[in-house]
Amino acid sequence: MLVYFPYDYIYPEQYSYMQELKRTLDAKGHGVLEMPSGTGKTISLLSLIVAYQRAYPLEVTKLIYCSRTVPEIEKVVEELRKLMEFYAKETGETNKLLALALSSRKNLCVHPEVSSLRFGKEVDGKCHSLTASYIRAQRHSNPSQPICHFFEILHANIVVYSYHYLLDPKIADLVSKELAKKSVVVFDEAHNIDNVCIDSMSVNLTRRTLDRSQANVETLQNTIQRIKEIDAAKLKEEYRRLVEGLKEANVARETDIYLSNPVLPDEILQEAVPGSIRTAEHFVGFMKRLLEYLKSRLRVQHVVQESSPQFLKDIYEKVCIDRKPLRFCAERLRSLLRTLEITDIADFSPITLISHFATLVSTYSKGFTIIIEPFEDKTPTIANPVLHFSCMDPSIAIKPVFERFQSVIITSGTLSPLDIYPRILDFRPVTMSSFTMTLARTCLCPLIVGRGNDQVAISSKFETREDFAVIRNYGNLLLELSGIVPDGIVAFFTSYIYMENIVASWYEQGILENIQRNKLIFIETPDAAETSMALEKYQEACENGRGAILLSVARGKVSEGIDFVHHYGRAVIMFGVPYVYTQSRILKARLEYLRDQFQIRENDFLTFDAMRHAAQCVGRAIRGKTDYGLMIFADKRYARADKRGKLPRWIQEHISDGSLNLTIDETVQLSKHFLRQMAQPFRREDQLGLSLLTLDQLQSEETLQRIAQIAQQV
Amino acid sequence: MDEEPERTKRWEGGYERTWEVLKEDESGSLKATVEDILFKDKRKRVFENYGQVRLGMMRHLFVVIDTSRTMEDQDLKPNRLTSTLKLMEYFVDEYFDQNPISQIGIIITKNKRAEKLTDLAGNPQKHISALKKAVDTTCAGEPSLYNSLNLAMHTLKHMPGHTSREVLVIFSSLTTCDPSNIYDLIKTLKGLKIRVSVIGLSAEVRVCTILTRETGGTYHVILDETHFRELLTFHVKPPPASSSSECSLIRMGFPQHAIASVSDQDSKPSFSMSHLDNSSGPGLTLGGYYCPQCRAKYTELPVECKVCGLTLVSAPHLARSFHHLFPMDAFQEMPLEEFEGERFCEACQGELKDKSVFICSVCSSAFCVECDLFIHDTLHCCPSCIHSQMVPSTWLTD
Repeated sequence: MLVYFPYDYIYPEQYSYMQELKRTLDAKGHGVLEMPSGTGKTISLLSLIVAYQRAYPLEVTKLIYCSRTVPEIEKVVEELRKLMEFYAKETGETNKLLALALSSRKNLCVHPEVSSLRFGKEVDGKCHSLTASYIRAQRHSNPSQPICHFFEILHANIVVYSYHYLLDPKIADLVSKELAKKSVVVFDEAHNIDNVCIDSMSVNLTRRTLDRSQANVETLQNTIQRIKEIDAAKLKEEYRRLVEGLKEANVARETDIYLSNPVLPDEILQEAVPGSIRTAEHFVGFMKRLLEYLKSRLRVQHVVQESSPQFLKDIYEKVCIDRKPLRFCAERLRSLLRTLEITDIADFSPITLISHFATLVSTYSKGFTIIIEPFEDKTPTIANPVLHFSCMDPSIAIKPVFERFQSVIITSGTLSPLDIYPRILDFRPVTMSSFTMTLARTCLCPLIVGRGNDQVAISSKFETREDFAVIRNYGNLLLELSGIVPDGIVAFFTSYIYMENIVASWYEQGILENIQRNKLIFIETPDAAETSMALEKYQEACENGRGAILLSVARGKVSEGIDFVHHYGRAVIMFGVPYVYTQSRILKARLEYLRDQFQIRENDFLTFDAMRHAAQCVGRAIRGKTDYGLMIFADKRYARADKRGKLPRWIQEHISDGSLNLTIDETVQLSKHFLRQMAQPFRREDQLGLSLLTLDQLQSEETLQRIAQIAQQV
Repeated sequence: MDEEPERTKRWEGGYERTWEVLKEDESGSLKATVEDILFKDKRKRVFENYGQVRLGMMRHLFVVIDTSRTMEDQDLKPNRLTSTLKLMEYFVDEYFDQNPISQIGIIITKNKRAEKLTDLAGNPQKHISALKKAVDTTCAGEPSLYNSLNLAMHTLKHMPGHTSREVLVIFSSLTTCDPSNIYDLIKTLKGLKIRVSVIGLSAEVRVCTILTRETGGTYHVILDETHFRELLTFHVKPPPASSSSECSLIRMGFPQHAIASVSDQDSKPSFSMSHLDNSSGPGLTLGGYYCPQCRAKYTELPVECKVCGLTLVSAPHLARSFHHLFPMDAFQEMPLEEFEGERFCEACQGELKDKSVFICSVCSSAFCVECDLFIHDTLHCCPSCIHSQMVPSTWLTD
């Protein structure tokens, strides 16, 4: 197979990655591939799959590329454009591929009127009012109405969009259900995919949501009243359709046109909508009763945790709502909104949420739990009741994806340990590989700092986290490093509370003042606007030579989405092991579920979760082969084999026995040496043949042998 | 240059893991060590200089020495400041040796300020004595890159266009405290064709990377003291002149050295003009160099005449800068197996053991790596060529 690769040189691991990818596609199976960030994952993926599409147009018809954030999607599109130009140049023909990137309407809308609106929800509403199906139907008769090009998704060969478009049942139904079966689905940056799945299936209801849905119901009622007076036939038509049931949808699914929606289980399709909610008025009444019941449930004084069957039994006893109509709730509401020709969908989001909740709770008896908390943990005095309907099984949301598409590729820079993903997502991959980075020089330097200069072990574990000596040693570590690391340092804490405590204590001890003599300090806060401001100033300080430290939180915005290229992050310090807040009830329920269903021990999962976040944080510093950075793990526990072994292979292979359990002094010496070495001039020629290959080199026997070592099968 | 790293003996240095250097070499061909890259770099430098490029022979160089708090760091012995000043003395000596008709000035920066230690001048003695005195300065506060560059710029911009304008910054700190946006200043510097080079003592700082890249200078970070010295030596050589710099003829005087003895009746002891301003220097002397234009007397050359402003040099001085104009061709590298002939280096008479030998293109005699570097860096002529008397006569004047 001929693969066009738009760059002159290729990294050996890219070649190896493509080989693995091709194996997966040949086998028509799923794959889990881990390759360090900055080694050109995206372009390898794109160029191979596009080549595959050209070579076997009948096997693979479509590439669906899911990424996480808007900038990442933009990057993919940019690479794709490069590839297309290269194709045009090499083959001399204009390509017939149509690629399409989807994002929120706010970012993409080209409609002159709509795109001038400022808030996402407004744009969505306006757009919907222009592109809803009944308006598109009108357009057939009246071609002068403008068309929105983003409804062309069916014809595109490559689709790039966010995870949610495929995983979140609410959106997936709109966007993705008509995608062909012979597509390749790629989830990039997928290390958090289980959480995305869970979030997309979980519902949180607060009192505010209920109040607003109450208002929604009233609006619905009024609208129905009005329509009845003007156009009673319409409602009758809907009624007739509901009697016939969702046969159409069923046919469609059986003939493989639609992606099945987890919110819309198969059994429903074979049945007609039950009589009790068939007429619009009855349905509104039904919703009212449901709302009242939920309100009464929220008036609790203590925490309640129950399973879905318990909840259903309770609702039946209290307000006589049967399981069956509940299951049709979401579908019925959609149908009603469609019939009433309500354009501002955004206003109805609370009631839609409730209807989804109703459908989910009545459909799945396993894998979900309901937790009602009368107040938040942080503020036990203020009543703020929340009903968490939380999904514990990420495989529910992703199951249709695995079942429908012939190849699903999950890839990221940090997926270690690889075997846990197939287990929690419940699928069987044909390839699972981890790739290392081939480097002409060792440009990453992971160090595990285990004790202070006074030999006190440093650790963020619960018993010692308030310890004065530990806090002081953490402060000293940061102080020393601020004196030897140029430009930017990013420090991650395990949580906001912990960060606040430590920083306050540093202030009292005068450490903060000393650090500020070396560098400026910026802090990430839960407030997005404040954080982006801090980030901007941080980058400015790195740029003009002042130097800065960014204190942020693992799992926060900074740790997930922001890259610290080159001078923006010469060192990353991870203070402590970022375990999740283990006292949370939702987490406890989930851990229990994992143990019972998948035989994953609580501790294993917690460590896995902590380590993937730690790896994610430190991985922020290295974004390519010319980049370099220190990775400092400041906790004794990282030295233990169970933690260290869960780091990605490309980090692990640089941790020698000599870089374990260091004191602060030793760390400083090693870092100094490393930074000087890295500051030596480094040119492309030095990489050639080692970590950069030309076509000739790629064909040599010796190189191929070396490449074979890069991938590690699991 | 002796490459044997000094840090093998430095147990005081704390936890330096010398054994890791060895380990890295063994780990196979996947990872070339940084040392390896550096060595290649050194060889390359030899090659690079041997195009026919016009070099700026008249240089105006300001050396900015950071004397901030970080200079007290003891990773250079006894501390960064002492070590740097010592190397600077060596540098000033070498500089005037290789560039006799150039000038140098020294700026120090600390406490967010910059001040001139010495003005731009051509007398090595003055600079060296100033450097010697500077050893006792206390290191405090932060440096200011902006202020020092600004100060240097204000003097350099008045220098004539045919000379090179350069700034060399010895930067120890990792931060700079600037009163205004340094990127504006960099643009101005670029406009004035001032080349700024930086030698970092601790690590790569972004702003220096940009500064050197924009102004066409070089940026290096030292590994240890030997490397530091090497980097300074690199700056001794004049940089290629930019094509846009103007050319002009320069009036120069070649004063005769009058030797007078006490027994000579006509000779009277007199003061040297260069020592008029500082009382510490030697007083009356008999002989000296007399300016051909105004008969002012100087004891040392090169110098700019205080009376008539003529540049006074001696012929050997000019000849010494001459080799920059007609550099020696690089020796050809050849693997040892292919080399036929006696396996002895023509220069040091040692056995040729390395993988490759270096052949002079004129007389085709073989040299080892060390001798190759020595010949190109210091001798500037091939010893065996001279031996066989086949050399252009200009090379002999050295």
